[in-house]
Amino acid sequence: MTVDIQFIVNASSYIGSAIAMGFGAIGAAIGVGYTAAMANSAIGEKPDSSGTLFKTMLVGQAVAESAAIFALVVSVLLIFRKVPAVGLHQAAAALGAGISMGFGAIGSGIGSGIPGGQVCLGLARQPAFSGRLIITFLIGSAVSQTPAILAMIVALMLLFIDFSNDLITAAALLGAGISMGFGAIGSGIGSGFPAGEACIGTARQPELAGSITTNMLIGSAVCQTPAIFSMVVALMLMFMKFSHAPLNPTWAALIGAGISTGLAAIGSGIGGGMAAGGSCEGISRQPRSVGQVTTIMLVGQAVAQTPSIFGLLVSFILMFKAFPEATTVSAAMALLGAGISMGFGGIGPGIGNGMAAESAAKWVARNLEKTGDLMRTMLVGQAVSQSTAIYAMVISLVLIFVV
Amino acid sequence: MGDLGRIHQLIIPLGNYKMTFNLEVIVMTWIVIAVLITFGYLTVRKKSIFPHSFQVLGELFVSGLYKLTEDALDEKLARKYGPLTCALFMFLIISNWLGLIPHMEEPTKDLNTPLGLGLMGFIIAHSAGIKSKGLKDYLKEYCAPIFFMAPLNIIGELAKVVSISFRLFGNIMGGAIIILVVSHLTYSILLPPFLNAFFGIFVGTIQAFVFTMLTVVYISVQVK
Repeated sequence: MTVDIQFIVNASSYIGSAIAMGFGAIGAAIGVGYTAAMANSAIGEKPDSSGTLFKTMLVGQAVAESAAIFALVVSVLLIFRKVPAVGLHQAAAALGAGISMGFGAIGSGIGSGIPGGQVCLGLARQPAFSGRLIITFLIGSAVSQTPAILAMIVALMLLFIDFSNDLITAAALLGAGISMGFGAIGSGIGSGFPAGEACIGTARQPELAGSITTNMLIGSAVCQTPAIFSMVVALMLMFMKFSHAPLNPTWAALIGAGISTGLAAIGSGIGGGMAAGGSCEGISRQPRSVGQVTTIMLVGQAVAQTPSIFGLLVSFILMFKAFPEATTVSAAMALLGAGISMGFGGIGPGIGNGMAAESAAKWVARNLEKTGDLMRTMLVGQAVSQSTAIYAMVISLVLIFVV
Repeated sequence: MGDLGRIHQLIIPLGNYKMTFNLEVIVMTWIVIAVLITFGYLTVRKKSIFPHSFQVLGELFVSGLYKLTEDALDEKLARKYGPLTCALFMFLIISNWLGLIPHMEEPTKDLNTPLGLGLMGFIIAHSAGIKSKGLKDYLKEYCAPIFFMAPLNIIGELAKVVSISFRLFGNIMGGAIIILVVSHLTYSILLPPFLNAFFGIFVGTIQAFVFTMLTVVYISVQVK
């Protein structure tokens, strides 16, 4: 039976479009629902201003919905795009674009729903400051959309750039999609936390609006780092030349590289967001604490990002090490396994470290004299939580270098 | 786009061993050092009670970083490690900003620079720990909670070096790659200045600060 390439490319375009829309709808729906729920409780608290609150809720939902609209665009493009099929790399690119957009939209959907909900609560508390609150909320949700936009850029690049026609490139393109798609989840959810806390904090202390917004912007920008790492790995997989390497173990190494950074970025993104959220709350409670709280937030976020850095390290080794040609499939599985081990192993420690940093930032604001002690406790606790990521990295390195 | 991952190298064979120099990094590091020395000279020249502009800038830098060191360590140790903090932060911030100038490259974009600085911090932290606790108590900590956890504790300490240096390297190099690819795809229209501002100024400053703070904090964890 001869396999028709056009058939395979079409088939994977359809699967890709289904993945893009199906998974892409998850996050936005949750985010929209959260906004509506918070708007309900805000209207219940303050029935007089139900008109303003209702309008704000609709704006918040529209912003959260846009992640799903990005997914819809990519999905429609995948279905109706007509290209002459020349190789299997197009099939991989279509599938990768679907994965990148579908999973990449989950985080931003949830994340940008959080500020939408919190701004309704804030407005119920301080109707007089609606202008200031709405600006904070719009900036916050725009930042939360960044990971979905990065995912859409990678998806469109996968669809519209001509890549070289061989099987290793096909594996690399699939890896690029996986890396960007999963890597955007964490940062999207995470950057919703500081945005939400900033909205409610501005309502609590309107005269601090400036420093709370600054803190939110720093926190949510640093929280994008895991998504940026994933995008870097995706770009390297797309644009570096791997065609001279032997096909058999290298295809697994490239997909493994995508899995490793992509999955490990989930936890780090959420964790970094929790730290930033805690610091926004802390500043709104204790205005004098801006310096110390920002410092502890940055240190906490940096440590929360460590799992995604380990993921990046494993990806780099998988991309740059020259593997000898293998005849069996076991060598390839070891490399794929290295990516899976580091990827999944990095999710938990990132969130755990973020929890430690969140509560440290909150408590430093209440207890400024004890900054040093609190930071030390946070770091020692994070070091223990980190050890699971280190176990995962050790197993990955053993799978790459020893097996 | 073909120069993704290209490095200018000078390789000197030395018997069986090859010494490799990354020329760009060396030259860029010298430029950073020259900028810092000039800045230092301008700062302390004509010191007066009514400070001139450079003196104000220098005092701002030093007193701010000194205060941060004091928060993490205590007053006595801050006197000892304060200069390290200031030097590290100023070196890193100038390094990270250097890429904004056309034809210049950040020395921190090459893994060797962050790794060297990370190893330096590691050695300083651990020698400080041995000095303050004594060798016996220092070694005992590795066997906590049980003795057979020692190998994993040692790997955990080494992983700190990996994470601190790869954090800086990944951020700076990632920014450079994203700027390169986006500039190429958009034919350098409109977007690159904003990306340069974000990755060069903003991320560069934050990462320099984080690297410095983590070095100080690693010392404080070892000492206490």
